[in-house]
Amino acid sequence: MDFTIRAATLEDCKDVARMITELAEYEKAADHVEITQKDLEQDGFSKNPFFHGIIAEVPEQHKSKDGHSKVGYSLYFYSYSSFKGRAVYMEDLYVMPEFRGKGIGKALMRKVAQLGLAAGCTQLNFSVLDWNKPSLDFYFSQGCQDVTSDLGYHYLRCEGDALEYLAQGDP
Amino acid sequence: MKYSIRSARAQDCRDIERMIMELALYEKMPDQVKISHKELERDGFGPNPFYQCLVAEVPEERSSAEGHTVVGYVLYYYTYSTWSGRCIYMEDLYVMPQFRGEGIGKALMASVAKVCREQQCVRLQFSVLDWNKPSLEFYLSKGAQDLTDKEGWHLLRFDGEALESLAEEAP
Repeated sequence: MDFTIRAATLEDCKDVARMITELAEYEKAADHVEITQKDLEQDGFSKNPFFHGIIAEVPEQHKSKDGHSKVGYSLYFYSYSSFKGRAVYMEDLYVMPEFRGKGIGKALMRKVAQLGLAAGCTQLNFSVLDWNKPSLDFYFSQGCQDVTSDLGYHYLRCEGDALEYLAQGDP
Repeated sequence: MKYSIRSARAQDCRDIERMIMELALYEKMPDQVKISHKELERDGFGPNPFYQCLVAEVPEERSSAEGHTVVGYVLYYYTYSTWSGRCIYMEDLYVMPQFRGEGIGKALMASVAKVCREQQCVRLQFSVLDWNKPSLEFYLSKGAQDLTDKEGWHLLRFDGEALESLAEEAP
């Protein structure tokens, strides 16, 4: 099946919002999604975007049963390693179930890698849930390393009241 | 005043480079540091910085044995969660051993938490090595959650040849 990979535009935010919800459902966390199409528009397409996106699109004749031709996306942003310098973080990688098995996921990830290298990045980082065996198998088959298992890094977060309380601690 | 916290300037990059190496030694990975003050200057103080940095400074009369007055730093950057929106990732938090126990680490972290509030970032995220019990206890005591333990998140990475190979086949 033919598909194209291209940079996301403002007009894609509606489809990206739809697919974010689909991915969250897969990750058993649909009720965690708080951002909207409008947030994506403001945060991704303003002067200092918080993220960049790429979209996988199929021709009209191959669109999904619900009529969608935008069938996958990856959302990424630039980060920094104090040891290695410029890096890119892939926040999401998603392909609609009926379009899997056609190389679209690989193509999206390769595009992020290419864009990252072009920007001078030496790492492509991302996170996967430990029960998500299909994704873990896919990523390991592409040659990545599990930094948590191999090096022992744990991922921590402060939010809500804990973050507010932290901000109140004055020097 | 025993110490002050301020935004890093380009001239601080040599001190930041020094402290990155000290942190790498503490994390038992000194051979992993590949960048120098030159990359830090280019990537942190240009028109589109890859990171932000705050430093902790002591008055001249309290300088370290080697004569350093910049004695701690926190390096962070903006990220994005497709569930929650704007976030900050704290890449490094470090205080020189002889200046610990005065609240400098807490003050640096509180300063980043304040930036979260000012910039409407809903999460402050970071990674800690699983054997680093003092740091883990400190963060958990401040209300952080360990998402690796709690939800099973693993950090994965492509670098070196694996990243090159991935990018080569990009559409």
